[in-house]
Amino acid sequence: MTTGHYREKVIESLLYLSGVTAVIILFLICIFLFKDGLALFQKYPLVEFLTGTKWYPTSEPHQFGLLPLLFGSMIVTFGAIVLSVPLGIVVAIYISELAGAKEAEVLKPLIEILAGIPSVVYGFFGLVVLVPLLQNTFDLPTGQNALAGSIMLGIMALPTIISISEDAISSVPRAIKEGSLALGSTEWQTINKVIIPAALSGISAAVMLGIGRAIGETMTVLMVTGNTAVIPGFPEGLFAPVRTMTATVALEMGEVPQGSEHFYALFAIGSVLFITTFITNIIAEYIKRKYRFNLGSGQ
Amino acid sequence: MSGSNNGNQTEIEVRGLNLWYGDKQALRDISIDIPKNSVTAFIGPSGCGKSTFLRCINRMNDLVKNCRIDGLIKIDNKDIYAKDVDVVELRKRVGMVFQKPNPFPMSIHDNIAYGPKIHGAAKKDIYGIVEEALKSGALWEEVADRLTTSALDLSGGQQQRLCIARTLAVKPEVILFDEPCSALDPISTSKIEELIMELKQKYTIVIVTHNMQQAARISDYTAFFLLGDLIEYGKTDQIFENPRMKQTEDYITGRFG
Repeated sequence: MTTGHYREKVIESLLYLSGVTAVIILFLICIFLFKDGLALFQKYPLVEFLTGTKWYPTSEPHQFGLLPLLFGSMIVTFGAIVLSVPLGIVVAIYISELAGAKEAEVLKPLIEILAGIPSVVYGFFGLVVLVPLLQNTFDLPTGQNALAGSIMLGIMALPTIISISEDAISSVPRAIKEGSLALGSTEWQTINKVIIPAALSGISAAVMLGIGRAIGETMTVLMVTGNTAVIPGFPEGLFAPVRTMTATVALEMGEVPQGSEHFYALFAIGSVLFITTFITNIIAEYIKRKYRFNLGSGQ
Repeated sequence: MSGSNNGNQTEIEVRGLNLWYGDKQALRDISIDIPKNSVTAFIGPSGCGKSTFLRCINRMNDLVKNCRIDGLIKIDNKDIYAKDVDVVELRKRVGMVFQKPNPFPMSIHDNIAYGPKIHGAAKKDIYGIVEEALKSGALWEEVADRLTTSALDLSGGQQQRLCIARTLAVKPEVILFDEPCSALDPISTSKIEELIMELKQKYTIVIVTHNMQQAARISDYTAFFLLGDLIEYGKTDQIFENPRMKQTEDYITGRFG
């Protein structure tokens, strides 16, 4: 074998190794997360964890009911989606179809800057500006509530939703747009009936990634949602403090004795989060396949 | 330079049309009468302005920034650049088939149904319209049993006939073809050519082609463009057998192009 061949082999193996390392790390995280998560159920029944309505980790006897935290995460995420998805898609349509080239050149980097702001800064902004605003506007006992979390998470999910949707919309071939206009459709009919459906798999991927971001976000929600572990009503629960799964892990992990039931309970929550994200991804895949009329390869 | 078609009723009348992209003039003083229910071919080397001119007829050039037009284009005796003209309505009357097949990423049925739907066809009539359009587009027999499958699974030639059928479904008066066969194999090309010759019974057809044999085979009238000028226009037989202008003769005998 020549030296050239030899070097090729070395580079190939290095690349292979890096790829494998990523998979192994992911796999190990899974194993440790689920191992410690499952350890809870040696002492504490799974059914009570999944259906329990009270999260009293330090009282005697302990109650590790997942539901208040799960619903807390759900209501905050739901609000974030309702706020960010329509707005994000509309902005993406505006940038890719209606804005002039110069306008788009200014808007796109600005939106990307939004994605680079640390979440603690968002949390700080939420706490100082948004929370008092909500409290005064709706005359609430506290502005630290699910709505504050939803609004902040919605803002944080926007850059993801906008930039990925915008990519998807811009990549719809110009020929298809012209074909629609040439049939006598208006600009809006073309956007609504041809371009958006053609970009739908990309847009749903954007929405799912936005949701993923919202579910997994910790610091911001911890700072603005009030962290009260009660099952929120709907929709009035939006105006009450809630506690999300992520905030719970972040708040309690530092104070819990390693190896205690409480410690394992937090890992169980982590496992639930992991599974939720996993399901979100599967749904995204499913939507992609359902609207499989992709933009053909070459034609 | 002007051209007339001696005889047949005129559908499209163009007088003194100039077009600029920014500072660059792409069409110079074009005047031409395109007759109803016939096939008119625009030929000429690349960059001669033939496609640009075609896109003036359904105002697709409106989409191009920096594009400026003056002169007159009348269809059915109505100035299509007049202020009160609804471009959407115009494009419904003047259909266009593009160089590369551009089916929408939807089912075959939905591709055809799209036009009639946006123009307000009743739901119960849609299926009939789709069937009729696919039959007129010589595609029905090949796709009748798979209308709900993706249009993108069709072959290139079938996709182009689908695009023609899609245009027919909105019942235009004029159909513009912008090099419709340049991306197709010879067999698909001959199918499209047959179809175009059939369609002229009902529609006025203008076709841009870089293929002179194609122009000779299917068109009744031919216009030869060069560098933004209309050099010669007349009956296809005359243009190919007895061109009046030296440049036309040079082009069709293959001396340049």
